[in-house]
Amino acid sequence: MRKAETAGGVLLVLFALVMLREALRLPIGWTVSGPGAGFVPFWLSVGVAVAGAVILIQSLLPAPSAAEEAFIPAQAWKPLLVVFLPMAAVIAFINVLGIYLGGALYLVGYMRLVGRFRWLSVVVVSGLIPLVLFFIFEKWFLLPLPKGVFLERILYGR
Amino acid sequence: MLLSVFDDLLFGLGVALTPYNLTVGIIGLVLGTAIGVLPGLGGTNGIALLLPLTFKLQPASAIILLASVYWGAIFGGAITSILFNIPGEPWSVATTFDGHPLAKQGKPGMALTAAFSSSFIGAFVSIVLFTFFAPPLAELALKFGPPENFAVLILALATFTGLGGGNPAKTIFMTLLGLLLATVGFDIVSGQPRMNFGQVALQSGVNFIVIAIGLFGLGEIFLTVEEGLRLEGIKGRIGFRDLWETWKLLPRYFATLVRATILGFWIGVLPGTGATPASFMSYGLAKQFSKHPERFGKGEVEGVVAPETAAHAAGIGALLPMITLGIPGSPTAAVMLAGFFIWGLNPGPLLFATNRDFVWGLIGSMYIANVIGVLLVLTLVPVFASINRIPFGILAPLIVIMSSIGAYATNNQVLDLWIMLGSGVAGYVFKKLDYPLAPLVVALVLGDMTEQALRQSLIMFQGNPAVFLGRPIAMIFLVAALALFALPAIQTFYRRRRARISQPAEVIG
Repeated sequence: MRKAETAGGVLLVLFALVMLREALRLPIGWTVSGPGAGFVPFWLSVGVAVAGAVILIQSLLPAPSAAEEAFIPAQAWKPLLVVFLPMAAVIAFINVLGIYLGGALYLVGYMRLVGRFRWLSVVVVSGLIPLVLFFIFEKWFLLPLPKGVFLERILYGR
Repeated sequence: MLLSVFDDLLFGLGVALTPYNLTVGIIGLVLGTAIGVLPGLGGTNGIALLLPLTFKLQPASAIILLASVYWGAIFGGAITSILFNIPGEPWSVATTFDGHPLAKQGKPGMALTAAFSSSFIGAFVSIVLFTFFAPPLAELALKFGPPENFAVLILALATFTGLGGGNPAKTIFMTLLGLLLATVGFDIVSGQPRMNFGQVALQSGVNFIVIAIGLFGLGEIFLTVEEGLRLEGIKGRIGFRDLWETWKLLPRYFATLVRATILGFWIGVLPGTGATPASFMSYGLAKQFSKHPERFGKGEVEGVVAPETAAHAAGIGALLPMITLGIPGSPTAAVMLAGFFIWGLNPGPLLFATNRDFVWGLIGSMYIANVIGVLLVLTLVPVFASINRIPFGILAPLIVIMSSIGAYATNNQVLDLWIMLGSGVAGYVFKKLDYPLAPLVVALVLGDMTEQALRQSLIMFQGNPAVFLGRPIAMIFLVAALALFALPAIQTFYRRRRARISQPAEVIG
């Protein structure tokens, strides 16, 4: 846990420095129209960097409770990745799959792998939910969501 | 003055009672209660997910919908806490302490009745306070110039550090990070693009709703799957005997109810804190004042009454600065405030003059929604509790899909899905390392306003920061803010001194 704390601190300070560099491309001092566009981002980046540094130093100081535990318990990795990786995959292919088909695939995978449902329930649920969502968003609220190449072709012949 | 409040209130009740808005409110309550019941789907995230659906509604109906979801979620959280011993919402954690033991002793109906009734009392008294506090507060805020606005905003942000508890360095870090992320996009004063790393997609800025959905929605899912959710519940329904027996007890807790309501409302109004800390503080306070503190944690009705009253009072209070000053009183209120911009409204005191139906429609709907809400949960507990029978294997992917839709629909760009996923991971890591999420979210919403107020103040006085010295109201706020920022350091100092004399006292987080 302490190591994660330190690593987090390092990452945060690095992030602040990246933002600081981006802020320095702007006028940070007084301009004809008052404080420049970079004035606030610059000082905020400095503040974030300082606060990050304080957190980092705190994590290196000896702590009263030395209980060392893993940041992510070993048995938790699998359930976490089962949520995360397919999601990243669906987003990566969202232009092809669209949100409805992608969502259906995600449901199939999760229900089978984690829920261990029978195939019948998997197919019914992962078919019905995207269908209901489609009618709510596409038909009722007229919110255009990414439909993907297949659905575009079926619906509009594009 | 007083008469005009009644006038406005009647007008607002009229807005809220139109068949359309009444329907919207009831839908919101049912959805909200369901969201409250489901662990892993929080009120803040639930409201963020519904936000895209409000694009097409009139602003008054939209705010009535979201507020009703909030009230429903506050009522609903208690159901899971009491029957399943798992908090449905963060603000109902304290309700598990005595609510579940009471249910286990064969009195689930009593625990639920006590929770709903006291929640309703806390809400109703707070709504009355709200009605009479809001107009004068808005009138006062109308007189504010940029320096005063800046000072109020800084005070709002300082409350996180002063009253949020936890590591002050992390709180300050998250506050500044939120303000910094708000600068991405373009400069509000000069219109110049900035901080976008040359990415066109970032030019419209970091979308607040996307971040909120990631941090609160996905982050929560990650935490839930890590812990592995087991739901084993007690069957609960409320009969007339439960009502009668519990209501007979309530007058005994009059002092607790009054204390919890005032505490909750006040905590809610303070921007740094919402229903969650209010419920914990109220529980601790009730235990301290009780003649039988040893009964707490073993099924004491007062231990259910105190946190529930305060949580709902705080939920109401959190909307007071939101509607009068444009400053959210809690993360959930911050999400609603983000909606104001989507509906084309400018948050702030002017709303009272320009959008009477919006402001008073919201206030009127609070009365109506909470009366309907309490009747709904009292009668339909078994129905709502059965929502928890939805297997997690379906619920988790469903929340993930809904989150993606919500994140995409706000701006129609795929980049937002990646930002959501990134914020989800960040939310999970931040939660595990005890970084508070609320200051990040609220600061992100307030960033533009704060920067604008600061720069306008500096321009007004040619860059001389001494401007604030000549503005007494601004000075008072700034001094208070400074005191709040220093508060954790002062507390540590005193605790160390006391620790040398006696054993360290236990601190209630």
